[in-house]
Amino acid sequence: MKKTVIFVLSLVLCIGLFTVSKAMAEQNPTICAVHPFTGRFAFAGIHGADAMEDAVAMANEEGGVNGKKIEYYWADGEYKNDVGIAAFKRLYAQHKPHCMFGQSTGMTKALAPEIKDRYKVLYSAYTFADIAASPKENPNMFIAGPTYSEMFGVLLKYIAKEQPGANIAFFYSDTEFGREPIPVGRELCKQMGLNLVAEEIAKVGGVDITTQILDMKRKKVDYCIFHGFVVTPIQNVIKQSKDYGLKCKFMGTFWSTEKHLLDQLKGLANEYMGVTAYSYYYQDENPMIKKIKAWTQKNHPKFADYRSQAYMQNFLTMQIFIECLKRADKSGAITGDSLTKALESIKNYDVGGLMPPVTISKNHSIPVGRIVRGNPKTMKFDAVSDWISLD
Amino acid sequence: MRCGDFKETYIKDEEIFQSLFVKFWLGLFFVFVMVFPFIADAYMLYIANMIGFAIIAAVGLNLLTGFTGQISLGHAAFVGVGAYTSAILVTRLGFSFWLSIPFAGLVAALAGMIIGIPSLRVKGLYLCIATLAAQFIFEFVFIHWESMTKGITGINIPCPSIGGFEFVTEKSFYWITLFFVVLGVGYARNLIRSRMGRAFVAIRDRDLSAEIIGINLFRYKLSAFAISSFYAGIAGALWVTFLKVVTPDHFPFILSIHYLAMVIVGGLGSVLGSVFGAIFMTLVPELLNYMSEIVKMHAPGYEEIFVPMKEVIFGVLIVLFLVFEPRGLAEIWNRIKNFFRLWPFSY
Repeated sequence: MKKTVIFVLSLVLCIGLFTVSKAMAEQNPTICAVHPFTGRFAFAGIHGADAMEDAVAMANEEGGVNGKKIEYYWADGEYKNDVGIAAFKRLYAQHKPHCMFGQSTGMTKALAPEIKDRYKVLYSAYTFADIAASPKENPNMFIAGPTYSEMFGVLLKYIAKEQPGANIAFFYSDTEFGREPIPVGRELCKQMGLNLVAEEIAKVGGVDITTQILDMKRKKVDYCIFHGFVVTPIQNVIKQSKDYGLKCKFMGTFWSTEKHLLDQLKGLANEYMGVTAYSYYYQDENPMIKKIKAWTQKNHPKFADYRSQAYMQNFLTMQIFIECLKRADKSGAITGDSLTKALESIKNYDVGGLMPPVTISKNHSIPVGRIVRGNPKTMKFDAVSDWISLD
Repeated sequence: MRCGDFKETYIKDEEIFQSLFVKFWLGLFFVFVMVFPFIADAYMLYIANMIGFAIIAAVGLNLLTGFTGQISLGHAAFVGVGAYTSAILVTRLGFSFWLSIPFAGLVAALAGMIIGIPSLRVKGLYLCIATLAAQFIFEFVFIHWESMTKGITGINIPCPSIGGFEFVTEKSFYWITLFFVVLGVGYARNLIRSRMGRAFVAIRDRDLSAEIIGINLFRYKLSAFAISSFYAGIAGALWVTFLKVVTPDHFPFILSIHYLAMVIVGGLGSVLGSVFGAIFMTLVPELLNYMSEIVKMHAPGYEEIFVPMKEVIFGVLIVLFLVFEPRGLAEIWNRIKNFFRLWPFSY
């Protein structure tokens, strides 16, 4: 009996000591992410989840954060706010990360007050909405690319140069995503001397777009900018515009400047231009793209042919997370404040051609983009402008 | 040895705590919910809060759909009305959170009564469509009445406080949620054994007969809509205050279906069923998420198959429950209770 008691007590002591020592051990730099791995944004989430994992694995092979191994955990948020927030809280409770990546604008908005006042993690997301690029309200957030408003800025700057005083139409979805950059877009048109003659609203996936096309024809629109859609109804608008004799150039923002739209447009691919923030997977003259391609062929042969722009966004975000962790670690301690300081200190940071050398703007974004045009022969996007910076 | 549970008076039959068995388990459950915040981490408390909001909303919907037989596909809209009312009162008119809560319930109840008017003329699938219209009308209002709701941007809501204490964490908010859950469930449990509750059930079983025996259909149907929406409004106000932000995205049509599923899976016409349904519909997806993380950790590569499968598993679980026990989780609970109560003479 006595032996049993001693054995049990020793066991409890050992477990206790193990737990305490584990808790006292210094935490490795930790990054967590909520990806829309399922749900209607899964087309981005599947690539995004891999991108972050790949970027961490590559960084760990190269020594991690100043010799410390980077830990990375992710969960599926299903592109639903409640599921995403629950996943965020679960990951935070389990791993106490230093950096977090969210799945949507909605989730970012919902978590913004708590990230600022409570969690104080360096945060970014699958969003280019202004909320994540407003350091006064949300000092711990950033966007690894231009905001939607800045994308409009890049497009309008290009148009103003190509055809001063052109007639513009904004064609957007009646969603939070669709309406986000419209007020800024209106202002930018005025500033750049462009005539905003029409604002057309359609449902995501809507097929009945005849009224909008006829309205644009009546108003003699020269450039139509889509926002808030991924594919449909963009391909229908472009196809039907031909039938109705509307002569206008079509452009889109980040999420619609993607291969799946060209696959739908087929022979009309050259009718579509867009703004993108990152180099494409097939532009392997850039060393980082070359590295990603080799890594994908080795580790994810299923995706060897193509990696989407969401992959590039996530990969770049992870690069910035890791760089901030390195700088914060060197400065003494990895905290929310030191990570934000590290973020703001990033200037001309070479990302291997994924985009031009990165400088985080005072708005915590990277206001750079490039205009590309679809190529019906290769079904790829070709660059038609150099990188356009708004600073 | 006592076997079975016999009642000799109607008063006994209507008692809330009908046996020592019930009192014992409820007492034990109460101890658990009181101890829970001290042993749970922030994530578990977050889920507990979400379950609490779901319980309040589901109990409200069960009063309307389960007890009165009026199907509503617009419950999420009433949750939204309560949420926006509370947010606007707190941020625009400087109301305290505590004062905004009853107003949130009242405004939602008013909205519910207006939407409930068609129930006097139509029922079944036709009423479904009428309430569905409410869902879309309110969604439109939340997005387009920008001067009041701030449109798609939404409204940031400060956390509630008493004196100098702020209910900022999941743990502190848990007590607010628990208070309203106990209040809401307790009221509903009492309501159904009152005259009004019996009128609701009479309307559900046969409204024509109910009218013949003197039940005022106009009054009771609208009361059911008002009470149900009041619950929804309270749930909405609590939910968005907990999240500290309200946007139109919080109240999609699918949320109405979700509440309906809670009530059906839990058990139509059972307060306890609403509680079980809310727990099931909130907890099971989380457990599946947890399982997918285990898969990711121990079988890397297979997450690509398992993670998308969890929606399928969740759906199959609901179907299985409905096939094997159409009266919901509450009936399964009753069977378990009866097994122990009658043991060892279950025949």
